[in-house]
Amino acid sequence: METLSLSKRYGKTDALRELNFTVDEGEIMVILGPNGSGKTTLLMILCTILKPTSGTAKVMGIDVVEEGTKVREVMGIAFQEARGFWRHKPSSILRFHASMFDIDSMKRQDLIEQTMKDLELWESRDKKFMHLSGGQAKRLETAKVLVQRPKLAIFDEPTSQVDLRGKRKIWDKIRELRDQGSTVIVATNEVREAEYLADRVTILHQGHLVVRDSIPKLKDAIAGGDVVEVGFEGPVTDNLVAELKGLGGALALSPEGNELRAKVSRAEDWVPKMTSASYNLGAKISSIKITEPSLDDVFIHFTGKALIDQQ
Amino acid sequence: MNRVLNLAAFNIRVLLGDPTWFILSWALFALQLAIYGSLISRLVGSNLPNYFFFYSIGLMIIVVFESAEDVGRHFVEHAHEGELPYFLSLPVSRSGFLVAQAIYGVVNTLVKVAPPLLAVLFIWGNLTVSGALFALAALFLLGLGITGTMVSLSFIAFKAVDIYMAVLAGLSALLIRFSTVFYPLAIMPNYYSPVSVLSPLTYGADLTRWVLGFDPKYLLNPVLAAVVVTAIAVSTLSLSARIVDKIIEGVKAA
Repeated sequence: METLSLSKRYGKTDALRELNFTVDEGEIMVILGPNGSGKTTLLMILCTILKPTSGTAKVMGIDVVEEGTKVREVMGIAFQEARGFWRHKPSSILRFHASMFDIDSMKRQDLIEQTMKDLELWESRDKKFMHLSGGQAKRLETAKVLVQRPKLAIFDEPTSQVDLRGKRKIWDKIRELRDQGSTVIVATNEVREAEYLADRVTILHQGHLVVRDSIPKLKDAIAGGDVVEVGFEGPVTDNLVAELKGLGGALALSPEGNELRAKVSRAEDWVPKMTSASYNLGAKISSIKITEPSLDDVFIHFTGKALIDQQ
Repeated sequence: MNRVLNLAAFNIRVLLGDPTWFILSWALFALQLAIYGSLISRLVGSNLPNYFFFYSIGLMIIVVFESAEDVGRHFVEHAHEGELPYFLSLPVSRSGFLVAQAIYGVVNTLVKVAPPLLAVLFIWGNLTVSGALFALAALFLLGLGITGTMVSLSFIAFKAVDIYMAVLAGLSALLIRFSTVFYPLAIMPNYYSPVSVLSPLTYGADLTRWVLGFDPKYLLNPVLAAVVVTAIAVSTLSLSARIVDKIIEGVKAA
């Protein structure tokens, strides 16, 4: 999946600006950004519902504008707002969806039943859509894509309105979909969801692609982002601090009594060097605690603003 | 094609799942014909023989018009209730999507209009298989033309529902009043008849009446009427296919 200089304008508002974006086959790409960052617009263009103002987007080499029907045959989308039919029951909505994607009629019923059980919708199978709770409607939206098993699966905020238990189930099913060979795009503004699901993350901000990489690499890109708290059996001496400064890699060292707090870029590189240097100086270590930056810290680092403040 | 039929069948199941609207439509037709139709026929008297029959066909044209209006409204409701983006994400071409809507519209129209038509023909002792089929075909063609017009107009609703509703109300008032739905062209005054020939309902109504054996001296040339009704159906459906394909987008999101 790739876009080239993709832009979308609503009146005077630029929802997407010159977006160059790729998703590799078989990965989960999480698009992270606050509301209004252009996530949903991007997904709507990919699934051919919106047309770009300029630029191109291709799914498996198929142009979304020129060959929309072919694109829709290989992709499935779970919308941000559950798209149901008020008077229909979940099972009939899923049956219709499966039939539209030519799911083998012999397997269809079993697949629907299993998916509904997996997402704890089976008990509500005879309720009308309008009587489902927000969380149930959202799970039904996800169920459509799980039943369909498309080559490109798109989820727009798949767990908003879903309780914690339900979130975990949906996340596991999305990963299962990836393991079965689907390429997955998830748009979210939830840091935890992104951390749980992402093979790679794309950060969108005000229609711009800010950065795209795996989570560890994004975190490592923050200079001094890892915080290492080291407990020693005795007081931290000036000699030890000087020695640790000489190791490089630490942006700040703050000794206080028996403890030392260090801000480093890559804790996995710095900690072995630090333990070795401490041992050579006879300083015995009693504890080490490493705190990685969160994706919110990553967002602040790259955009200058907190993700949570942007909602 | 299978998917188009599948999509149409899904919408039709929703339609038939709630028969209340059909029953109300039939009841309203019967009431209008029994009270207003019979009284106005007496008033018209000898100026137009068999006005009751003329009027009952006109009433059917109104039902066809309103059913076709329903399809446009249905389309707009899909958009506003969030179903349109879902439909647009399904592996059906935009023209296939429109065909599915048209099939839905035809079924909606036929269910509403066929029983009253058969009942009227039966009461007048005019019920023949060929007559009923040709009349339904004429009404079907007219319905397609109105459906195409309404779907073409529905893109206005994507900008402003209020304007769409106002346009619809205004259009239906003008198309019905300035037509031969209730009064034949032959007895219209000169300042009125040139406008009435612009209404597609004029051609649909006169074609249906001619098929059912109404005195041709009060009607337009049937060949002309058939050509115009067919041309309107083809051109408006082509236009709406283009609009669905090129203009309408399912949802706006930032």
